[in-house]
Amino acid sequence: MKSMRVNDHPVLGSLEKQKKINIYFDGQPYVAYEGDTIASALLASGVRTLRKHEDKDTPRGIYCNIGHCFECRVQLNGKNTVRACLTPVENNMKIESNISLSPTSLKGGTL
Amino acid sequence: MSENRTVICRCEEITLGEIKETVERFQCSSREVKLRTRAGMGPCGGRTCRGMIDRLVEQLGGPAVSNEVSLSYRPPVRPVSFGVLGGETK
Amino acid sequence: MIDLVVVGAGPAGLGAAIAAAENGLKVCVLDEFVKPGGRLLGQLHEEPDGKWVNGIEEAQKLHSRAIELGVNILCGVSVYDLIKLPTGWCVYTTDKTIESKCLLLATGASETPLPIPGWTLPGVMSIGAAQVMGNVHRVKPGEKGIIIGVNVLSVAIARELQLCGVHIENILLPKPGITSGDSANPEKMMESLLRLTHLAPSPLIRFGGKWVSPKLGARLFPKNGFKMWGIPIQLRKTALEIVGEKQVEGVRIADISATGEIVPGTEKVIDADFVCIAGGLTPMSELAAVAGCSFSYVPELGGHVPLHNEYMQTNLGGLYVAGNITGIESAKVARAQGKVAGLSIARELNALKDHADEKVSEAIAQTIETRRNALIQFQPGIEEARTELHYKFYESAEKRISI
Repeated sequence: MKSMRVNDHPVLGSLEKQKKINIYFDGQPYVAYEGDTIASALLASGVRTLRKHEDKDTPRGIYCNIGHCFECRVQLNGKNTVRACLTPVENNMKIESNISLSPTSLKGGTL
Repeated sequence: MSENRTVICRCEEITLGEIKETVERFQCSSREVKLRTRAGMGPCGGRTCRGMIDRLVEQLGGPAVSNEVSLSYRPPVRPVSFGVLGGETK
Repeated sequence: MIDLVVVGAGPAGLGAAIAAAENGLKVCVLDEFVKPGGRLLGQLHEEPDGKWVNGIEEAQKLHSRAIELGVNILCGVSVYDLIKLPTGWCVYTTDKTIESKCLLLATGASETPLPIPGWTLPGVMSIGAAQVMGNVHRVKPGEKGIIIGVNVLSVAIARELQLCGVHIENILLPKPGITSGDSANPEKMMESLLRLTHLAPSPLIRFGGKWVSPKLGARLFPKNGFKMWGIPIQLRKTALEIVGEKQVEGVRIADISATGEIVPGTEKVIDADFVCIAGGLTPMSELAAVAGCSFSYVPELGGHVPLHNEYMQTNLGGLYVAGNITGIESAKVARAQGKVAGLSIARELNALKDHADEKVSEAIAQTIETRRNALIQFQPGIEEARTELHYKFYESAEKRISI
């Protein structure tokens, strides 16, 4: 897959060699670099879908990318819900989405 | 997709059609639209859709956008754990 | 208790922190983003003289100066509540609770959405989101993008994305309807484009110069758009729906007349792997609402703004505002406003040694001049709207005293 990283930029210059780290999203390993947010690391690997709507089951990804819209919420290390766009990656971070969970049966979800 | 199926409140996935129906039926304000449809009540606290709801209500014959903020902001305006609320520090 | 808490580490917040700290105040700046600089971080544009304005460098300068002055800057921290104390303010954050004599809200703006069928699909993001991904995180939002919404921000960011190696297929109007209002109207959008005269190279200036009026311009606007940096800007095409099963696959578009009506039989789908929505900016004033500020609805400034005076004071003691929360303008103006706020706060806390009033007045004059010298006028009528706002502030203050 062609790299989605902007390693060389005509005005901003070349990226220094960042430290490579491993993260896991829904059990899958991904390569990330120190300084990435969860959202940017996943997007760099072509992952756009971070969540699905809890009732309507529709796929969601980042929208505002600065922490306002809460579309990018994911679960961190089995405990906290965080905004992927504001959370810096750390080595061996385990991130989980709600994609594998069934939607609520209240508003049109199916069991 | 018809215009009415356009999502207005992303968090609760409330459509334009639902908001139109509500305003037409109840001749109501933004605040009442929020209470009846849940638009503006999702995790983002109405940050994304509140302006849109205000303008829609005005265009659909409801009250004009007033000076005061119509959909109230209720703290906590960011998610916070019970631990932090209880004084736990990192 | 410290002297000042600033919420927001953008140009306004850092500008204020610097001015306050230069006068000996103990300042703490909070920001929920991962690094300081606010939306200045993503900015990158070319001035008419060919020089590049690099937001990352500008932000770094502000940050370094603030640190040098002993300002405490905490990133990745969110403010969830504020309470007025008899002697100041109590700020509740996800990290700790901080008490200070004065509080400055410099929380900037949020993006105004343009709801379009299919806009919740992964791959659809605000134009600012794409800017942050590209310039701040150095990740392309996609390979081939379409931008919906023709305005200063969308055109400028299209260019920035291109520099990141992204192909921008088109910049076009949102579909006409109750949710898009003027943004779907070619004549109104022509008017706003004519104010983009600083964006050299000169095709736009040459182009803009030809048209006698926005109406004429919209009617004679080329059906295939005109190009800037090779990117077609379309005022005669509209985005009807964003299509894709699990994520963005394309946009269904159609031609529109000069007055914004869809031309039947012209629908087609263009491929894209990401779509940006550019609806403009709205002041992010939720913390001012939580604090209990009065507001005013000012469309020229982007929406609801907290009522404040020329010294950046709100109607609540010790609570100040600066930057885009007061109305949408450029980063330079935000920074100038920050300085006014910082000096006003220093004056309130008796930290401005001599010529206090002159220093504050000079900073106010500098803000007005910065605004007047701005290359891009985001909106006409900002100066008048602000004067009216300040007047309203004093009027409402008088009313309260007379009760």
